[in-house]
Amino acid sequence: MERKLSEQSRALLGLNLGSFTYLDSQDAVLHDIQLEVRPGTLTVISGHSGSGKSTLGAILAGLLPRHGMDELAGTIQVGETQIEFSSSSAPRVDVAQWANHVGLLPQDAGHYLSGIRGTVAEELAFSLENAGVPRELMHQRIAELAHRLHLGKLLERHPQQLSGGQERLVALAALAMSEPEVLVLDEPLAGLDEQAKTVVSEMINLLRANGTALVVLVDSVGIWARDATELWQLSQGTLHSISTEELLQPSGQPARRRPVDADARVLLNMDTVQLSYPGSTEPVVRNLHLQVRAGECLGLAGANGSGKTTVLKAIAGLIKPSSGTLNMSGEAGLLLQNSFDQLFERTVLREVSFGIPKKSGLRLRVPHVLAQLGLESFAQTHPYELPASARRLVALATVMIHEPQILLLDEPTEALDEAGEAKLRETIAAVLERGGAVILSTHDERFMERVAHRVHLMK
Amino acid sequence: MPRTIKLHPFTILAIAVAAITMTTAASLWWLSCTVIALCLLIAGWAGHLKKLAVLNGAMLLPTFLSLLLIHGLIARDPSPAIAHWGPLRVTVHGLEVALSLGLRTAVLVVVGLLCGLLIDKHQLLAAIDLSPVPPQLGYLLAATLFLLPQMAEKQRRIGEAQTLRNMGTGTGLAGWFQRMRLRAVPLVLASMQDAQDRAVHLSARGFPATGTRTRLRTVPDSSAQRGIRWAAVICAFLGPVLILVLARMGSH
Repeated sequence: MERKLSEQSRALLGLNLGSFTYLDSQDAVLHDIQLEVRPGTLTVISGHSGSGKSTLGAILAGLLPRHGMDELAGTIQVGETQIEFSSSSAPRVDVAQWANHVGLLPQDAGHYLSGIRGTVAEELAFSLENAGVPRELMHQRIAELAHRLHLGKLLERHPQQLSGGQERLVALAALAMSEPEVLVLDEPLAGLDEQAKTVVSEMINLLRANGTALVVLVDSVGIWARDATELWQLSQGTLHSISTEELLQPSGQPARRRPVDADARVLLNMDTVQLSYPGSTEPVVRNLHLQVRAGECLGLAGANGSGKTTVLKAIAGLIKPSSGTLNMSGEAGLLLQNSFDQLFERTVLREVSFGIPKKSGLRLRVPHVLAQLGLESFAQTHPYELPASARRLVALATVMIHEPQILLLDEPTEALDEAGEAKLRETIAAVLERGGAVILSTHDERFMERVAHRVHLMK
Repeated sequence: MPRTIKLHPFTILAIAVAAITMTTAASLWWLSCTVIALCLLIAGWAGHLKKLAVLNGAMLLPTFLSLLLIHGLIARDPSPAIAHWGPLRVTVHGLEVALSLGLRTAVLVVVGLLCGLLIDKHQLLAAIDLSPVPPQLGYLLAATLFLLPQMAEKQRRIGEAQTLRNMGTGTGLAGWFQRMRLRAVPLVLASMQDAQDRAVHLSARGFPATGTRTRLRTVPDSSAQRGIRWAAVICAFLGPVLILVLARMGSH
């Protein structure tokens, strides 16, 4: 992992992009972009959902353009090699060779994991195994990385039993394991708890100190501003330079929450509740006491894997408590952490109407709910074709159409851009205004502070 | 808690193939019954007896019934009938044929299922990766072995999300069919999308390997096991030939 910082002058990755157009699309998604990535630098590229960040990340990682499908005009330089793309010549890229120089952590970190290995340790070693690295060396490198990232306890776990945050951490570790010169990280801190964020930040500093260059793709620059070598905003398909001073200005309105009436009706009461998954020997949650009143927004905080999602699923009726009592007044609606799990239909309109009888009055509310969440223009679009933020809002619309008395949100800000987050805040306020309650689990402390009346820490 | 068997997956497979081919060639009811009983004993020791019994029941019961129907009830052989109801007649020869074919099938099913329960799929994959077979075989096996569990997990998540929207909550056979209908399309779409999203990162991580590959996982092996494997492979191929030759010589 040791690289010489004296190589500062040499660009590890250079992009001179005239235009990039997806197959079957008339308009270029990206155009006129020049970017150079040098050893040990941190390049932060911000942009709202759908601005083309993930596309840019995939181009830098050699995953786009797809041979014979998409069209890229421009040049990409990786190490000593320069590759020219034009409408008449589109060389086929060896993705595995490219990944030795530039590695990409996708927005959905789970996609980076192979899904065919039985333990986290094997998942970390996957690239090394395919490269034929001797077993002793793999053990040594895994032990070193696990020590640095505090992953020791996870090494023997099955990768499919990890929480969302743990999965991201493991994917990042697996990416770093093959030691590419440039790491492109798409929303690397999304869904991570404070400890994991600190670990990832420490790891990023360590990688930079060793000469690895990082390109971070984020919705808002936030905490990255202070350490970034270069700050860019991606909008209207091209990069615009932005200054640190501009970003460090305090922004956003202070929290304005209506206080909860002391005599407000109790909507949810959980008393000494214990929750376990079928087949598991240990309960995930023990002795839980929770009470939520009408007009109240409760935040659930805690480390990755502490049982926040399990509690939300129990309130939604997906898991039955193995002991204790859970009393609820009215219906609960749950927004799941992964939007893909919640979308089944071929258009947004059909998606929000899914499960509602044709003669039900709720059908008439569909256009209203879509308008409230700013989705009316996507009514006939396939949910899978939407930008991540809009897709998250569609999943929220499928919950809101039923007007739940208790709105349950699992990591709701994940994948949401600023406009989407504003819509989410409006939705929460509307639920509280009509005498409902909101329970949300999030690692986004800023959002939690803005919307939650109180926070319950899960241990 | 099921026990794990610390044998190389190829050793288990080689013994299983030898047992199946030799039992099928011998076609002796007592040998088939002994092999099945031995399998049940091993399954009981490993803690898989219930699972093996249920799976076997689901596969063998229809097989036995169909064999009985073909050879035992509606067969036109001229041997004397021990019972008859109109056009249906049960003959001794028909019952013998049905039982003999049924037992041979039972050995194949019981041994095959026991292998599936005893062999850890990650160990099997590692064993294939560490063997000199082409890497494409490991890839094919991985895709086959892990597709079903992944689809089952995806199907569970889709089910949860549909339950949240009060869909697919019916009970009984009608409820089961409704759930299948509602989950089928999203399951296929989500699996295709997932495969597409994952494939590109698998390629970036060098999978399937084109050159020398190694595995972090160790697969226990020994010279004794290698000897057993060779012996089992020889028995699997030469055993049936020998049995058939001896049977022919005995009949003359």
